[in-house]
Formats: sequence, structure tokens, C-alpha cells
Amino acid sequence: MNDPSGRPEPPALAVDDLRVRLGSNEILRGVSYAVRPGRIAALLGRSGSGKTTLLRCVAGLETPTAGSIAIGETQVFDAGRGIDVPTERRNLGLVFQSYALWPHKTVFDNVAYGLRVRGAARADIEARVAEVLQGVGLGALGARFPHQLSGGQQQRVALARAFAYGPPVILLDEPLSNLDAKLREESRIWVRGLIKRLGLTAVFVTHDQVEAMAIADEVVLIEEGRIVQAGTPQQLYDEPATLFVAEFMGSNNVLHGRIAERRAGDACLDLGGLRLWGRDRSAAPAGATGTAVIRLDRVAVLERTGDNCLPGELESSVFLGERWESLFAVAGQPMRVFHQAPLAPGERFVHLPPEAVWIF
Amino acid sequence: MATALAAVPGGRDLWRVAIIATGAAAILAPVALVVYQSFLSAPFFSARARFSLDGYAFVLADEDFWVAGLNSVILAASMVAIAVPVGAALAYLVVRTDLPARRALETLVLVPLFVSPMVLAFGYVVSLGPVGFLTTAYESVLGAAPWNIYSMLATALIVALTHVPHVYLYVAAALRLVPSDSEEAARVAGAGPGRTALTVTLPMVLPSIGVGAVLVFFLGFELFGLPYVLGDPEGRLVLSTYLYKLTTRLGTPSYQLMAVVVVAIMVVTLPLVTLQRLVTAQARRYATVRGKAVRARLVPLGRWRWLAFAAIMLWLVAVVIVPLAGITLRSVVSSWGLGVNLADVLTLRNYAAIDSMRGVGRSIVNTALIATFGAALSVAAYAAFTLATHRWPGWFSRVFDYLVLLPRAMPGIVAGLAIFWLFLFVAPLKPLLNTLASIWLAYTLVWMPFGLRLVSNAVGQIGEELEDAARVAGAGPGRVARDVVLPLARHGLLASWLLTFLLFAREYSTGIYLIGPGSEVMGAMLVSLWSAGNIDVVSALSVINTVMIALGIAIALRLGIALDE
Repeated sequence: MNDPSGRPEPPALAVDDLRVRLGSNEILRGVSYAVRPGRIAALLGRSGSGKTTLLRCVAGLETPTAGSIAIGETQVFDAGRGIDVPTERRNLGLVFQSYALWPHKTVFDNVAYGLRVRGAARADIEARVAEVLQGVGLGALGARFPHQLSGGQQQRVALARAFAYGPPVILLDEPLSNLDAKLREESRIWVRGLIKRLGLTAVFVTHDQVEAMAIADEVVLIEEGRIVQAGTPQQLYDEPATLFVAEFMGSNNVLHGRIAERRAGDACLDLGGLRLWGRDRSAAPAGATGTAVIRLDRVAVLERTGDNCLPGELESSVFLGERWESLFAVAGQPMRVFHQAPLAPGERFVHLPPEAVWIF
Repeated sequence: MATALAAVPGGRDLWRVAIIATGAAAILAPVALVVYQSFLSAPFFSARARFSLDGYAFVLADEDFWVAGLNSVILAASMVAIAVPVGAALAYLVVRTDLPARRALETLVLVPLFVSPMVLAFGYVVSLGPVGFLTTAYESVLGAAPWNIYSMLATALIVALTHVPHVYLYVAAALRLVPSDSEEAARVAGAGPGRTALTVTLPMVLPSIGVGAVLVFFLGFELFGLPYVLGDPEGRLVLSTYLYKLTTRLGTPSYQLMAVVVVAIMVVTLPLVTLQRLVTAQARRYATVRGKAVRARLVPLGRWRWLAFAAIMLWLVAVVIVPLAGITLRSVVSSWGLGVNLADVLTLRNYAAIDSMRGVGRSIVNTALIATFGAALSVAAYAAFTLATHRWPGWFSRVFDYLVLLPRAMPGIVAGLAIFWLFLFVAPLKPLLNTLASIWLAYTLVWMPFGLRLVSNAVGQIGEELEDAARVAGAGPGRVARDVVLPLARHGLLASWLLTFLLFAREYSTGIYLIGPGSEVMGAMLVSLWSAGNIDVVSALSVINTVMIALGIAIALRLGIALDE
């Protein structure tokens, strides 16, 4: 994306080889990533993966041991050159996991704080806060105190407070984790819509892959302080780079075997005599152990054998309301299969479309 | 490396460094001066002063010094021997059992903490002394009283029983965290309530009992008022009264000798205070392991219920009611002795006498001023120090943490003396010598460790995220303190102010060397009036002091401030 002068626009946020070490613990082991203006990026990972530390480093609440951070054209941190701009001067917005609304200030005062600190005129503050509160659907609640609001309303106030003073990037730390399940689903759509409508750049941290895919334009999967894979939600879901990514991003069936042969980007897994074809994602030589991964919803049950079908022994079936789920033993390993109608007794084959199978 | 950036105080941390440096100077200057003086041959302002170890030679060769030291140790040890078991038992009864009126007792047992020790001492003398009210009543019915209020035994008992609440506070706090199922398991296995208490519950809070023991031993070393009033008639000295009497013994102020005694006292108290800090940290670690909220099921006392209640009431009577009633009665009596009829001598003359004694009247006003405005200023200073080290990792803060141990190791009389000399030594401060400023500084210094802990507790309650949110929104540390920390710590700061009021109002030993025309305070005034033998005015003034403190407590309770700090 170029600006009018023809130069490429700098990323809204750029992190380069960021490392964080606490004692003997390496929390971030060299993370580099750039977020373009107007994009929403999700930092996805398990607890302890380092994603929250990364967010806090960007905000200036924690100090990295090496690397650099730039916001737009401004270098806010550079270990090599001794640059470390304090939090209060980085001009970012941050929505805390617990919202961290000041209990002694009204909603209005909470949202207005950033503007007040920047010395805006009273009339301007009032106008802007009214506009912001209207934008998050809380226009009439300016005089309330945080404890008088519901969880969902508090979340909106926290969001409003974060972008009220127009920072170039807003950061969100597990923004939906404090909401109950039903509210979370509605909130996903609402948060993404709001961010897009306001044209903000956002980076948020989450451990929920569904949340990451629903809200973000790009997902960055972090594990043990390193980026494992970064791309669009579809890329991470449909083209996982490693076994870890495949297992993290969805619910899968996993089969273990040996790599038998390779052919034009596909690999064949030998499961005790049975053969299964899938997309080749493994770097291991033929004969080494391999793992086949397929999403649960791509597996089908057939009554006769066919291409890439494996004989399966039915172990149990449960009715879950919207579908049946059956447990099969295939080559001695468990496989879960969904189906709409109950299964009649008889010989069964489990069909795994080769284009939906990854061999790691 | 980037971590080095955080460790060196940068330009924006200059205000923190400035505040901490000021505090450090205020702490180190008096101590350094005292140590310096101890190695001189004459007062430091004298032209004849040379480096000399004569002071040490004299004091260490003085038999009275060692006897005083021994007495201090005996008192301290007896305090531990008596106050610790009684305090632990009291804590157990109030916190874990179905004692009657538990809620009221939780506050009542803390009352001895707030009465001035001087007032207590006077109260005992006028109640149980040779011509005390209870003594004469006893003698008129049963003959010669078997007790001697001036004996070592009596002093030991009184100081021990009046310090029970100190042990109680620590042990009770720990007991509240012990889950009931440990006791229930013991009961199911067949242990009765007493056995359960001794073998299961109390061992679980042993670290807190340890903290209480070290504290009480250390306080025993610092005692001044009670040993002075109760020990002086028999010429029995402890280290602090030995210091006080050095001037009268030798006729001239021998600063170098006083300095040596101060150094000797601190050589004992400083390790004790460090030990106490270590033991407290241990106890806290122990307690947080079982930090879950516990549902407390009370241990039924059965037939011991009312007996336990009566025992606690008896203790309260002995420790609070007897001395306070005695001093109140004495204050409305013109004279007292064997055979005097009470109805004949009732009078308000003693209070009227205060009106005509300018110094005494001024002391009441001054105490009120210091305890209200002075305390507020002190709390503001403590808040400044707390905020300066707040969320600021680094060696600077840690050094300050240890420096704060020094004032803790200084008994009031020692601190007052050191400040007195400091004001003499530093020329610009000299004109402030006979003003409340010097007294305020001494009080603030002596109570700094306590006050800092109060304020930092209040500030520590605030979630870190609330401060981080303000920083992200663009507020520098000063603004964060002003907009988030201080408003949210308001209630805690108010509580700190009230508790500091109580401490300043009951203070007596710190001001002894600092009072002069214009800078009298009640507590120190009581000491000098007592030395002059003016028991009438002493009684009246004592009552006024106690009423002032009681008012403070009433306000604190009204505002819902928990007094268990």
C-alpha cells in the first residue's frame, strides 16, 4: 500500500527479532512481525507461549532484552541503540483482560482520561467522548460508574477508552475471555465490525483459535516464544505448516504410521499394511514415522470400500442432537466420525479424502 | 543490554531518587551524629572535643550500666515468657472458639495498645502503690497488702500483661487463615479441644508466634515509661532510664557518655529488628501457602466458655480498668493517703490548676496540633516515600527498605536525643530547636517504619492494571499517582492518618529532650511533672490525654477503620 508520495507506507506496527529473557527463562526467542495499517492481527497461542509478553512489550509495560519495536515511523524500542520510550509516550491503546476500568471514575471520565492527559479543550473532550460512547452503543451511560455496568458494557467502555484519543494501533489482551459463551459469539462480530468501521489497526492476544479466526485478518501462531506460522485464518486452517499448527487450529483425527512412498507432493502412510494417501508436509525420509491429520468433519462413513478408505470397527455411537458421533477403531487407532443418520450394523469403511489429509 | 536500561535511574526517575535521598538523609544524619559523638571526648559543639574512647571506657566500666542492661534483658525475657503464651491463648480463644461476645472482644483486646504507657504506670501507682486506692481499701479490711508495686516482679508482670495485644495481633491474623478441617480431623480422631489447640492449631501458626516473641522481646528493650515510674523509687534502672539519668548522676550533660549508651542500645536493637524482619518474611511466606478463603467452624468450648470469658475480662480489668480508673479517681481528688475519706477530698481543683500552668496548657494544644496536622504531614511524607519506591525495582529501593530499619531500632528517647543534637549541630536548623518542628521530625522518624507499612499496605491494594491503564493512556508516574493511586488509596490513607494520630497522641519518650518553652507535648510533660512529684497535675493531664486518645479511637471506629494494624 503506497501513500500519495509513492513511498511504501510503513507498517503500523513492526517488531524485529524481539527477545525477552527472565532469569534463565527465555520467554520470547526472536519474534519478527509487521502489521499493516488497517489490519487486525491475532497473536494466538497457549498459556506460556509468550503472546501476552509480546503484547506487553509493545505497550512498554515490559522491557525486552533484545530486538526493536517501531510504531509507524517512530522507533519506540531498540535494545542495540538504547532506545526505550516509556509507556505513556507510545500513544497506543490497550484493552486489558480485566478491563481495568477505574472504579472511582465515571464512564465518561474513564473514556475522557486519555484526552485530558493530552490537554484537549473541554468542549472537544465532551464532543469526542460523546461520539465515542455513541459509537460503542453506550451513549446514555456516561454518568454511570463501572460497577453499575454489565460485563459486556464494561468491555465496550474499555474499548472506547482505548481508541478515544485516536492512537494508531490498539492492543487487546484476551478481549472476550471475561464474557460468557453466548455473549462471546455476539461480541466477536461486533468487535471486528467496530474496528473495521473506525479504520483502526488492532493487535489482540487470544488462546482461542476460533476467536482468532473470526476477528482477525491475519493470525500469528506463537509457541514457546517463536512464531510457528503466520497467515490468513484460511491459510492456517487449510494449509498448516506443522503438526502443531494442524492440531492447534481445529479438531482432528490423528493416525500414526510409517511413510511408505512419495509422489508429486503427496505422501503415502503405511498403517500396518493399510495405505493412506495425503498431502506431503513431512521432511522425513521414506520409512520414518509419520502422522496423518484430518479434520473431524471431513471424515465420512461408507458401506463399501473405495479410494483412500480404511476398514473400521465400530466401537460406540452417541447422539449429540445436531448429529451422531461414532468412535471407530481403524488399524488399531481411534477415529471419530460424524454422521446424520444412526448406523445400521454391518461392515464399515472410513473415507478420508486425500486432499483433506496432511501427512507430517 | 536492554535490562541495564531499567536498572539505572534515568532522568524521569529523578524525583524518586530525590525523595528517597531526602528520606535517607533524615534517617542517617541523626544516627551518624550520635556515633560520631560517642567517639569524642566532649560535646560535639565544644572546642575541646577530640577523638577519644574515654566515653566507652567510662560507660563499659560502670557497674550500673551492666546492671541496667541485665534488667532490660530480664524484663524483655519475662515479657516473652508471659505475653507470648497469654497472647497466643487469647488469639486462639477469640478467633477459633465460640467465646461469648467475640465480635466486641476483637476490638476490646486492642485497647491496651492505645493507652499511654506513662498513664498506665501512673495508674498502677495510684491504684496499687503503697498509698494506692486499692491498697488502702485492702489494708483497711485485711491488713498489710502482700504486694509491692515497685518490685521487679510487679514491673515484669505489668509490662508483660500490657504487651499481650502485640502478640495477639500476629497470632490472630495467622489463625484466621487456618482451615477448620485440620481441627475437625483431630477431633474425629479423639482429641479434645485443649489437646487439638495445643497439638494441631497452634503449631500451624508457630511462625507468627515467633514473630510476636521477637517483637515483644525487642519492645522490652525499648521500654521507658513503665520501668521509669515503677523502677525508679527502688533505684532500679533499665538501659533507657540509665540513659535518662546520666545527666542527673553526673551533674553536667555528658553528651559523649549518652552517645555511648545510645550506641550500646542500638547494637542490641538493630540485630533484633533485622531478625524480626526476617522472621516476619518467613511467616508471611508460610501464610500465603494456605491463602485460600476458609470457612471457619468454631471450636465449642463447652463448660469452659464462661470461664474463658471471665479470664479475659479479668485481664482487661487488670490491664486497663484498674490503672485508668485509678488515675481518673486520683485526678478528682485533692490528696490521698491512708485514712483519708474519699467524699472529703473530691475536687476539680487539679484540672483548674492546669489552666494556670501555661506550659501544661500549651502541651495540650501542642499535642492536639501535632497529632492532627503533624500526623497528616507525616502520612503525606510516608506517602511520598511509598510512591517513590512504588513499582520501582532496583537496588535503590531495596537500600531504602533496609535503611528504614534504623529508626525502628531507635527507642523513642534515643531518637529524640539524636534529633536534639542534630538540630544543635546543623546551624540552619538551630532556631527550630524549641519549636514543634523538631518534635514533629522526631515523631515522623520514630514512626516511619510503622507508617510506611500502613501506607504501602493501602497503596498495595490497588490492582497494578489500573495503574498500567493510566500509563498506556499517556499519564506519567506523577499523574498516575495523582489520578489513580491516591484517590483509590484514600480510605487506607485516612486510616493511616487516624492511627498515626493515636500514636502521636500517646507518645511520651521521644519528646523528652526536645520539649522546651513553646514546644511542650503532653507525654513528655507527664515525665517531667512526675519527676517533680506533682501527682495532682499528672493525674489530671493523664486523664485528658486518655480522653484525647479515646476520641480518636471512637472516630476511627465510627469511620469503620479496622484497628488491627
